[in-house]
Amino acid sequence: MRTLPKIPFGARVFMAAFGVALSLALTSGAQAYHNFWAGCGYEAPTFMTTMTRDAAQSYAYAASYEGYHWGGGCWNYDDADSYPYEGPGDVSSHGEGADCSGLTFKTWRESQDVAKDGRYYWRALRNVHGPYGTLAFKAGYGAPNHVVNKSTAGVMDAFSSDTHIGMVFFRSLYGGDQVIEAKCEACGTNIFYETYRSNSAYGGVGRWGWTG
Amino acid sequence: MHGLSSRMLMGGAAGVLAGVLAGIGMLSISAAGARPAGQSVPPSARLFAGAHLPPLLTRPGEPVTLHYALVCAPREDGLPCAGAGDVFIRVGQSGGFTRLPLQRGDDSKEGRYFVEVPPAIAGSPAGFSYYATLRDHETGETLTLPSGGPAAPQRSLQLDAAVDVALGPHSFGHVRHADARAVEAPWGSGAGQLGLAGSKDLGRFGPSAFDVDANGGIAVLDQVNGRLSRWNRGGVPVATTAVKVDRGLADLALEPDGTIDVLEPPSAEHHDPSLKSFRPNGSLRWAQQLSDRTWAKLARGPSGPVVLQDPSEQWLPVADHGAPHDRGAQARAAHAGRPLGSGRELLVERVGSDELRIAETAGTATVRAWRVTSATSIGEVQLAERLGARLLVVVKTYTDERDEFTALVLDHSGVSQQFSLTPSQWAETAPLARFRLAGTSLYQLGSTEAGAFVDRYDLEVTQ
Repeated sequence: MRTLPKIPFGARVFMAAFGVALSLALTSGAQAYHNFWAGCGYEAPTFMTTMTRDAAQSYAYAASYEGYHWGGGCWNYDDADSYPYEGPGDVSSHGEGADCSGLTFKTWRESQDVAKDGRYYWRALRNVHGPYGTLAFKAGYGAPNHVVNKSTAGVMDAFSSDTHIGMVFFRSLYGGDQVIEAKCEACGTNIFYETYRSNSAYGGVGRWGWTG
Repeated sequence: MHGLSSRMLMGGAAGVLAGVLAGIGMLSISAAGARPAGQSVPPSARLFAGAHLPPLLTRPGEPVTLHYALVCAPREDGLPCAGAGDVFIRVGQSGGFTRLPLQRGDDSKEGRYFVEVPPAIAGSPAGFSYYATLRDHETGETLTLPSGGPAAPQRSLQLDAAVDVALGPHSFGHVRHADARAVEAPWGSGAGQLGLAGSKDLGRFGPSAFDVDANGGIAVLDQVNGRLSRWNRGGVPVATTAVKVDRGLADLALEPDGTIDVLEPPSAEHHDPSLKSFRPNGSLRWAQQLSDRTWAKLARGPSGPVVLQDPSEQWLPVADHGAPHDRGAQARAAHAGRPLGSGRELLVERVGSDELRIAETAGTATVRAWRVTSATSIGEVQLAERLGARLLVVVKTYTDERDEFTALVLDHSGVSQQFSLTPSQWAETAPLARFRLAGTSLYQLGSTEAGAFVDRYDLEVTQ
C-alpha cells in the first residue's frame, strides 16, 4: 500500500490557517458580491412632463443583460448580472436587476403612490420595485394603469398573467411579439419572442399618459 | 499522540501567520479584480438597435408605409433618441436602390420613423425589395436593417390570385379529440419522465420542444434534465441522450442523419442566442452564435437548419450541410420566406389582428397563395407546412378571455379540413414549438398538472 509523504507540522498549520483565512475572505467577498443593493440609491425620482414609448423602449432595453432579481429594481449598465445564481423567489439576496413588475414600473415611470398617475423618471441604480405585482398590473390597478385589448396592444403596452408581465418591444412575423421582460433568474432580462398576446392566461395592460 | 515541542510551536505560529496573510492577500486580489457593487457605467453602444415589421405580401393597390423603431442608450432628460435613417428601395429583386429618407413622426406606437412607399414601387407586380440604415445622432452609431443590407434585403411580393378564406367567428369549446396519445410522461427526472422547472408563483417551464424522427418516434427536449428523451412509435420510452444545454426554453430539430439541433435563447450567462449541433450520441459538434439578438423559430431547411431571427425578420441559414455559418454569412444568405428547396419559399405574414397571408413562391413568382380572414382575432402561426398539394396551417385563435388552436388544411378552393385543438399550455414551451407535421399526422406538445404529453391528430387528406 502506498503511503502519503509526511507533511511537516508547520506546513500543516499553514494550510489549515490559510484555509480558514481564505474561507473567511471568500465569505466576506460573497457578502459584498451578494449585496449589490449597497451601491444602489434611494433619491427621489425626477418628475417629467413627457413620456414617449420609444424612450421607454430605450430605458427597458438598457436593462437587458443586467440580470433578474425577484423583488428588485436596481441595476447598472455593465452588461452583466453581478449575481446570476440567486435562489428563485428570494428578495433577500439583494442581487442586481429588476423582476418583471419592477422593470415595468420603472420603465412606465410610475409613482410609488398608486393614486398618482404622473411621470417619474427613476435612474437605473435607484433601487425601487414599486407597489404593483403582476396581479395588480393584470387588473389595471392604480391610477397610471389600465386594461387594454390584447389584439390592439402596441409598443410598450404589456401582457400580464398572474405570475409574469412583459412589455411589447415590437410586433413580429408569424404573429408573435418581441417582448422586453425580466423573465427569470436563469433567463435574465432581455428581448424574447413570445406568444403572450394570444394566451388566455395573459391580459393586456397599458399605461395612461404616453406623449408620443 | 505526540506532545507539542517548542520547535513545533514556533513552526505552528509561523504557519498561522503565513496562512492568514496569504488568505488576506487572496481577498485583496479578489476585491481588486471585482467591480464594486452598484458602480455605474455609461450605457454601452450595443444599446443602439432597431425594429421593423416588413410587409411581406401586399395586395394590389394597397398603400404601403414602412415603420421603424429606433432605440438607443437612455437619456437623462428622458427623451427619445435623436435619430434618423434612410430606406434604400427598388422595384423587383435586382438593380440599383433608390434612397428614401425616413420621416420622424409624433407617435411611436408602431415605430416613430416611417416612409410611405411611392405607389409606382408599392404597386409593381414584381414587388419590391429594400433595406434601411439607421443613425443615432448622439453617438454617431449606425446600423443596417436587415443586417444583410443590400446583399439580403427585405422582399415584398404582391399577393395576387390568392385564395380567399373567411373563417367567421370562432366557436370555442368544440375541440377535436386526439387520435392517439403518442407520449405521456409524468413530471420528474426518472426514466420516462420529463422535467418541470419554476413554480406556481414564478411560472412553470416544461419540456421546451419536440420533433418526430423518420421512424415515427418522438424526441422531446427535456432541457430541465439536460437530455433528449425518445419514445418509439408505440409510445414506449426507449432512450435518453444527455445533451449539454442551458435550462432556457429552446427549440429543437432533428436532421435526417440524426443530428440534434438545439436553438438556445440568451441567458443570464450568455448574452447571445446560439444554435448547438449535437451528434446523435449527444456530444457537441459545434455551437454557433446567431446573427441577430432574438429568435422566433427553428426549422429544417433544404441544406441545414434555418432560424427566423429578429430584428431582421428573416429566415437565416445557420449551417450548410453540417458546417456552421458565421454571423455575417447568416445575414448575407437571409430569406424573407422559409426555404423549401428547389428555390421555393413559404412566406407567412400576420396582418392586423384578424388576417393571415401565406404564399409559396418560386423566385419572384407566386405559385399559390391564401388570404385568411377571421371574425375572431388570430394570434401566432405555430406551424405552416406543405402537405402534398395542400398546406397545413396551425394558428392560435383568441379573445381577451379564451384561446384555442385552429388547424386549417388549405387547398386550391379554400379550406378542405378545419378543427380546433385545446391549448394545453399549463407549462411554458418555446414560443413556436408546440406542433410538428410528420407524414399526414399533426403532433401537439402539451402539458397538464400531471405531466407532459404529445398528441397525434391524423389528417384525412391524400397527398
